[in-house]
Amino acid sequence: MPSTTFRIFRFQPDSGKTEPYHQDFVLEHEPRITLLDAILRLQNEQDGTLALRYSCRSAICGSCACKANGKTVLACMEQVEDLKAANVGGVVRVDPIGNFAPIKDLVADMTPFWEKFKAVKPFLIPDGPAPEKERLVSKEAMQKIYNESKCILCAACYSECNSLAADPEFVGPAAFAWGYRFAADARDGQRKERAKLYSGEHGIWDCTRCMFCNERCPKGVDPRDAIEKLGSIAFQEKVTSDKGARHAKAFLISMRTGGKLNETLLVPYTDPIGAQFNLPFALQMLRKGKAPSPIPHRVKHLDEVKHLVKNVKETI
Amino acid sequence: MARQFAYYPGCVAEFSSKELNATTKALAPLLDIELLPMPAATCCGAGDIAEAKPNLYLTLNVRILSQAEEMGVDILTICNVCTLNLRRANKMVKEDPRLLEAVNEELVKAGARPYQGTREVTHLLWFLATEEGLSLLEARGPRGLNGLRVAPYYGCQLLRPSSVMGFEDPDRPQSLERLITALGGEVADYGSKTKCCGFPIILAREEVALRESHVALSEARDAGAQCMVTPCPLCHLAMDAYQRKTEKQMGEEYNLPVLHLPQLLGLALGIPTADMQFRRHMVPVDEVLQIVGA
Repeated sequence: MPSTTFRIFRFQPDSGKTEPYHQDFVLEHEPRITLLDAILRLQNEQDGTLALRYSCRSAICGSCACKANGKTVLACMEQVEDLKAANVGGVVRVDPIGNFAPIKDLVADMTPFWEKFKAVKPFLIPDGPAPEKERLVSKEAMQKIYNESKCILCAACYSECNSLAADPEFVGPAAFAWGYRFAADARDGQRKERAKLYSGEHGIWDCTRCMFCNERCPKGVDPRDAIEKLGSIAFQEKVTSDKGARHAKAFLISMRTGGKLNETLLVPYTDPIGAQFNLPFALQMLRKGKAPSPIPHRVKHLDEVKHLVKNVKETI
Repeated sequence: MARQFAYYPGCVAEFSSKELNATTKALAPLLDIELLPMPAATCCGAGDIAEAKPNLYLTLNVRILSQAEEMGVDILTICNVCTLNLRRANKMVKEDPRLLEAVNEELVKAGARPYQGTREVTHLLWFLATEEGLSLLEARGPRGLNGLRVAPYYGCQLLRPSSVMGFEDPDRPQSLERLITALGGEVADYGSKTKCCGFPIILAREEVALRESHVALSEARDAGAQCMVTPCPLCHLAMDAYQRKTEKQMGEEYNLPVLHLPQLLGLALGIPTADMQFRRHMVPVDEVLQIVGA
């Protein structure tokens, strides 16, 4: 029977230990055992004070997200043998989910997560009077929000979100996946209002595109893609005053006028006011030859590009 | 015979960070690589066009792929963001023939060549970190890096999403480490080498972005790195051009020279330093040049 060392994050402020630490547990177990079952056995057999959240044990409830060897997972979806094989030394290190304050051991304070979730209005807000019968939605229309509908709110995407680490107020991936799920729902009547709500400070344009959310999501929701699609909805609804949206607009103008990024346009167009205060930095860049040529670059067959920019229709 | 690629340097390497383009062009013949120009290739959209107009993003990138197809070669990139955008578009149309058909219809209407889905997109790092690439480096008999302690910095979009990128384990990448070691350098290892430099939001949310680059810069410094190396010119801008700003905002000193990947290779292979245009860097690289004896 295999034996595994688990190095588990402990934090027990109630028992007078104010600093977190790691504690090693050794467990003999059947070759096939999930990380969640292993931790539960440790709790039952070795230390009843070991705290964790869990419920369904089958990747539906989203309670048991934690870090295994530094990588955010659902504990119920990981095989201990796989985790051992992936880690040098064969020790399985277990930590609470990242970007949230620990309460006790593997239990983190999820209050900010639920506040952000509520802030995106994660429910249908239909327009006009209610129909006599139910609102019918085509399969094709539901397909557009299928990915996002799979979210189980486990917060694995928040755990390693680089924007959230740098800005705790960033609304974040799962909340925006739900935001898109309703903004793009054929029955919802708040598309423009949602675009405005999601476009503010700490909103969709704060996403740094680190792609950790897509990488970590255990359900294939791809929250970054949802944020991207919300950007597209903002463009269609002409909600484009945020600096992030203006940054994207500068790319569209560049494409139409030369086919390559017009860096001379990018900085002042994104942030017309801030660019003036950034003058000393701009001069430094200039001295290093990093200031772009003011003449737009033109690719060959620019007419093709112009035709595409003008005629390709968006379908979100 | 030289290995041929359709060379897609991307906008930043062509304009703001010309030193990257120049060094790549100086490096290629030493490694028996022929870089074929793509004069009709547009910007990849950098994720911004994908965000504003996803169908337009896809069509523009497939147009680029189609140009490489016409040239009969695969695409070689030197930028994380270009690599992700081109590979993502390629994957989308290769996996969905109906989508490819719709995109081709738009391309034909615009007078562009339709794409048949036969090309691959690879980054210079990926090409060099294979057996083939490493043997090309060895064949040059590199003079080496003289034990230079280098912090590898991958950034995000060459690793994630791994479903699109897929060259190596996104959580334990080894390609940069392999090259640093093969060239006689030492790896300064640290946890944040796969985290974000903040560049995509640096113009719209500078303060947040600089807090992101701070994480990797401070960790690399604490790991005793004498320089950082990155495969991406956007990471390079965040780490080098903005480094003094980050120091000011965070109240810390990093003083960490940041090299583009081809520059690190160029130092090991003896490309004249003037050709690699280090004068265009914000953080001076003099100490690095001294250590390697360039």
